[in-house]
Amino acid sequence: MAVDVELFGQLSPGVQRRQTLNLERPLTVEEVAILSGLDPTEVGLIVINGVQSGMQDRVPPDCRLCFFPPVSGGS
Amino acid sequence: MRLLRVDMDRLIVRQEQVPARYERLGGRALTSRLLAEEVLPACDALGRHNKLILAPGLLGGAGVTTAGRLSVGAKSPLTGGIKEANAGGTAGDALGRLGIKAVVVEGQARKGELYLLHVAGDSAQLLPATHLRGLGTYATSDQLRTEYGAGCTVLSIGQAGEYLLTGASIACTGEGSQRSNHAARGGLGAVMGSKGLKAVVIDKADARSVPLADPELFRAAARRFAQELINDPRLGPKGSMHLYGTAAITAAVNEMGSLPTRNFSSGSFEGAATLRGEQMRETILARGGEIGTRCMPGCVIGCRNVYVDETGNPIVGTLQYETIALMGANLGLDNLDDVARLNYLCNDYGLDTIETGAALGVAIEAGYARFGDFESIASLLRQVGEGTVLGRLIGCGAVATGRALGVRRVPAVLGQAIPGYDPRSLKGNGVTYATSPMGADHTAGNAFGARREVNPLGVEGQRELSLRLQIIAAMLDSTGLCLFARPPVIADPQLMVDMINGIYGWGWIKEDLDRLNRELLRTELEFNRRAGITAADSRIPEYMREEPLAPHGVTFDVPDSELDAVFDAL
Repeated sequence: MAVDVELFGQLSPGVQRRQTLNLERPLTVEEVAILSGLDPTEVGLIVINGVQSGMQDRVPPDCRLCFFPPVSGGS
Repeated sequence: MRLLRVDMDRLIVRQEQVPARYERLGGRALTSRLLAEEVLPACDALGRHNKLILAPGLLGGAGVTTAGRLSVGAKSPLTGGIKEANAGGTAGDALGRLGIKAVVVEGQARKGELYLLHVAGDSAQLLPATHLRGLGTYATSDQLRTEYGAGCTVLSIGQAGEYLLTGASIACTGEGSQRSNHAARGGLGAVMGSKGLKAVVIDKADARSVPLADPELFRAAARRFAQELINDPRLGPKGSMHLYGTAAITAAVNEMGSLPTRNFSSGSFEGAATLRGEQMRETILARGGEIGTRCMPGCVIGCRNVYVDETGNPIVGTLQYETIALMGANLGLDNLDDVARLNYLCNDYGLDTIETGAALGVAIEAGYARFGDFESIASLLRQVGEGTVLGRLIGCGAVATGRALGVRRVPAVLGQAIPGYDPRSLKGNGVTYATSPMGADHTAGNAFGARREVNPLGVEGQRELSLRLQIIAAMLDSTGLCLFARPPVIADPQLMVDMINGIYGWGWIKEDLDRLNRELLRTELEFNRRAGITAADSRIPEYMREEPLAPHGVTFDVPDSELDAVFDAL
């Protein structure tokens, strides 16, 4: 299954911002983060197909997975 | 501590000792209490019986980082209820250092007359300001800094305030050449205009320091507070707020389907990539602008910026998320240069960018401009400054524009435009918009940062979350603290209590602070009740309960019974 991963903000500057991962088995968000080259402890917000998610959530097939740094409300 | 009573009827300024019952109130707690006790809730918001009140927070002037915000309070001509809007800049700090607990502007100058209030050390006087008539806030600030010295603080209204447009803001200068901090929401600039008050000038020369009851306790707490902000991954020097400003959240709000797009007809914008904080930072740095600047002296977060054009000349300082949402995606604009130019015009006319962005979206829906077409939109906005009928309508906000132009889809609650989070996909904010005495105001209890605590798309838990956030917002607004600086004092309320006790020696415990915050909300709710506002006036617009929002296909489905029960636990 293909997962489109996008990184935002200051997360792991050396890591490609957008990548498509072909997963052979279902993984958690945390496992995908590591596979993408991200340090999961840097992540503040996870959004899968527009829905806020958590590190231990299972990544659904053929989804869009976004990793954001810690953020807070705007002004 | 003293109160300044500015009598616009007789053009005199009186100084009063602060009555004991107000001694432990600051910022919003003080503006709202004074309004509740001295203003008839049913009065005409633009009439002589309303009062405009300026008050630093309890920490104002003491040198606590991020705690110099100035609260501005009045009955709002936009919501018809009690209102507090606050601004960064140097006014909160300057008034706090001068021992001025509040400036209460009362009565009304004779029609056509215009004045400025000059506060210099222990004295204050009203002076004619005819020479400032018709000037925007930038020119007003520049002129007054020329007259009173570069170090003074200037609060001013632009053309919108002079015309009594209900979307008018009050601009406040900051350090250096900064002129664009705005107490923006609720049309308080129109209240200032209705008084015949064009500007307030506060001299810096005689500013003093706040006496400390327990210097050791205060300094230890203030130091720890600053250090915790610096250590916070969101707020410190490596945090997204410092690196990208409030625009850091643009991409996240868009991904979550809550970014107002084309008059709130979608929650995600196909052009959002070029409105992101990352794009903004890259553009600003490449052009020689500034990132990570601050709006208040000593702020360790530094979320402001100076957005410049291709030749490096400033367009506006600062470009913020709410403006990007309401004047970018909401108008179908995907170019930050365009958003910055609209932002500049709003700042200069003295207009709330949220209210005006929403009004422009409504006007576009009525066919008066085109989504994504900067020139047609800017042309509409310029009409505010020109004072045309259509311009004045837009300057009066989304509801007035919708009524006059026959548009039903008006994104507003209690007469005030909805900020940059569509309540259909961020329901916690919807609950706040529909219940806060402030109307649709994200700063009254923003659920965006709540992450996984409550599902933003669900109904469960939103009522409790909103109440908790509204109580926290009351605390922030009463102490003068920036809402972004809340994490350390939410994690440990004793930290805030220690700073307050260090200044005043009141021996407060955490429960005293909590009680004060709850009392503030009760006071405001009671004012609105006496003003004739009912729950029905505060509902989320009906179309948002019927019209599914892309991409999630959700409506605002929090039952009225849940909304009506928000304050049961207050």
